[in-house]
Amino acid sequence: MEVVVLVAGAILLVNGRTFQVLIAYVVLSAVVGALGITAALASPATFALFAVATVLKVVLAPLGIVLFVRANPAAADLRPSIPAPGRLLIVIAFALLAKVVTRLPAVATVPMADLVAFVVLCGVGMLIIHRNLLAHMVGLLVLGIGIGFAASMLAPGLPEPIELGTAFDALVATVIGLALVRAIVVHDPLLDVESLRRLRG
Amino acid sequence: MMAWVIAAPLLSAILTIAFRNREARRFARVVLAAIAAALPLSLVGTIDGLSGTFTAIVSVLGFLATVFSTGTFTPDWGVGRAIWSRKSVYFVLLGAFWSAMLLVVLADNFAALWLGISATTLATAFLVGFSGEAAALEAAWKYLVLCSVGIGFALLGIVALAHVAIAAGIDPRLTLSWTAIAGHTTPAAPSLAQLATVLMLVGFATKAGLFPMHAWLPDAHSKAPAPISALLSGVLVSCALYAIMRTLEVGAALGVSPLLHQILVWLGAASVIVAGALMLVQRDLKRMLAYSTVEHAGIVALALGFGGSLGFLAALLHVVGHAFAKSAAFFAAGMVQRDFSTTTLGKLRGLWQRGGSGRLLLAALVALSGMPPFGLFVSELLLVFAGIAAHQWVPLGLGLTGIALAFAAIARNAIEIESGTAKAQGIESSPALEIPRTVEQRIAARLASVASGAIAVALIGALGIAVVPWTSLGTSLLRIAATLESAP
Repeated sequence: MEVVVLVAGAILLVNGRTFQVLIAYVVLSAVVGALGITAALASPATFALFAVATVLKVVLAPLGIVLFVRANPAAADLRPSIPAPGRLLIVIAFALLAKVVTRLPAVATVPMADLVAFVVLCGVGMLIIHRNLLAHMVGLLVLGIGIGFAASMLAPGLPEPIELGTAFDALVATVIGLALVRAIVVHDPLLDVESLRRLRG
Repeated sequence: MMAWVIAAPLLSAILTIAFRNREARRFARVVLAAIAAALPLSLVGTIDGLSGTFTAIVSVLGFLATVFSTGTFTPDWGVGRAIWSRKSVYFVLLGAFWSAMLLVVLADNFAALWLGISATTLATAFLVGFSGEAAALEAAWKYLVLCSVGIGFALLGIVALAHVAIAAGIDPRLTLSWTAIAGHTTPAAPSLAQLATVLMLVGFATKAGLFPMHAWLPDAHSKAPAPISALLSGVLVSCALYAIMRTLEVGAALGVSPLLHQILVWLGAASVIVAGALMLVQRDLKRMLAYSTVEHAGIVALALGFGGSLGFLAALLHVVGHAFAKSAAFFAAGMVQRDFSTTTLGKLRGLWQRGGSGRLLLAALVALSGMPPFGLFVSELLLVFAGIAAHQWVPLGLGLTGIALAFAAIARNAIEIESGTAKAQGIESSPALEIPRTVEQRIAARLASVASGAIAVALIGALGIAVVPWTSLGTSLLRIAATLESAP
């Protein structure tokens, strides 16, 4: 499982093609969902929320992005702002950092803390490395997956509101993100964040 | 009952869609908003004072924003291509925003509070991008991404807090209730408690627009329609600061207060000085007001960081005073935008001569600059006392420098735009705000706009004179004296 998460995270950060990144994202979310499913079985309500969040994250969000890219092929390039070797170095740094996190007294007792940290770092990394707004959407979704994963590891059987929270997080990123991207593509077909720099100072 | 109170603004906005007649719809909108604003009165005695204060801010300003929106926009609204640029959708999103903020301040646990804060993003991202202009969409995107990351970290902190609470033996059903956590003074995992509360603090600080997580705020607040800017600056930032206050409450119970206070002090001092400096170079009225929000959020953070009952009192008074002053300023800026079709500072002159909008703006700017008799003067004075009592000389010095810079920026711009002869250069029609066409529409719009802004200004003035608990102030001053005497 660790290797799958590591490879998926590496593809998210290193690859610049939307479809390949989406496949890595779906694999990552499915693996993380499988690891956290025992926590979601605490009650029917928790499981229902977990199911809603999973459908949003694993099915609807990627499907929405795929349909959008088919209609706007110019937006398919995620436009990384760092060369490939640099991105690979960042992946290695994130993996090492995730291992270091487990030595912190605060999280030493948390199971799979390194994986949680790696997924969260990958989410943040996507926001920083890629210039395409679709990558930012995926980054937000990966961050949400990391938080959901953290919830299932830190406090299994959490109250339903936390599950609701992670589901809502996915909803916000998916619905608002896609709606705004659809409006922005009219002004910039490449969806390059560099074109969104009118407001400064 | 609580659920109805929270849902009322959204339901009332949806209900008004059923009215076919335009005038009846406008009337229903205002009446239903008034009912929604009055409903929280039924909760008196069932919520604590802090929740009550913030509920009052949300309800009054939510109502005023609805009245202002009803007056500002005309029937031929909706030139943007996106679905959210439609008038009915605007009011539904405004209702949803108002309901979400009520959820934040009426929740009794962090999970519901977080949901409320997250729901505000859902509603306001579209409202920020309302005009459909490229710059507004850019602002909406920045807002979505930065705030989602911020509140994502807050959720991570809340999850860690749940772990701490469960380990401390708190009833699993109450793991995220601040009252339940405050009842347990012995944390089971102090280092994790520290990490949890710091993550929550940083996450909520992002939504409050504190430096260095403030990048989204000036864009979003300046590009949104004026009533939404008023709510974003006056109420949403207040709700985020409320979340910080609750985090501090839990932090105190978990024994991690000193760290949280230190973080707040430095975030606050940096916010005040950076925002004060940036206000000096702004050339757009709404953008300057947006940076002023960063400055005032910084003042509140600084006061909370100084700690003690004096710091808390200063913070609370400042939140209330700022909410009304900033809302009034944005209402006035909206009227100026409608009259001049611009908010560029170099193009605005002689606003005093224009009557309503110019004078309302001046009153709001004077209040924001911290001049007496407005409430912000009292809270800033209390901030100084709290800083002295806490012996935090460097952050206090930085904060006062920032306040002075902000004062200079506001004073210079207020004099520039209020004096001289009225003129408007390079006017271009704004797609977001249309000029009412008939005489009746113009009168009704002006009345609604001036009334909502004037009420807000009157409330700030009243806060400075009547609502400020002068007896508490006296007690606090005595406490400072005692603290200073006992200081080594």
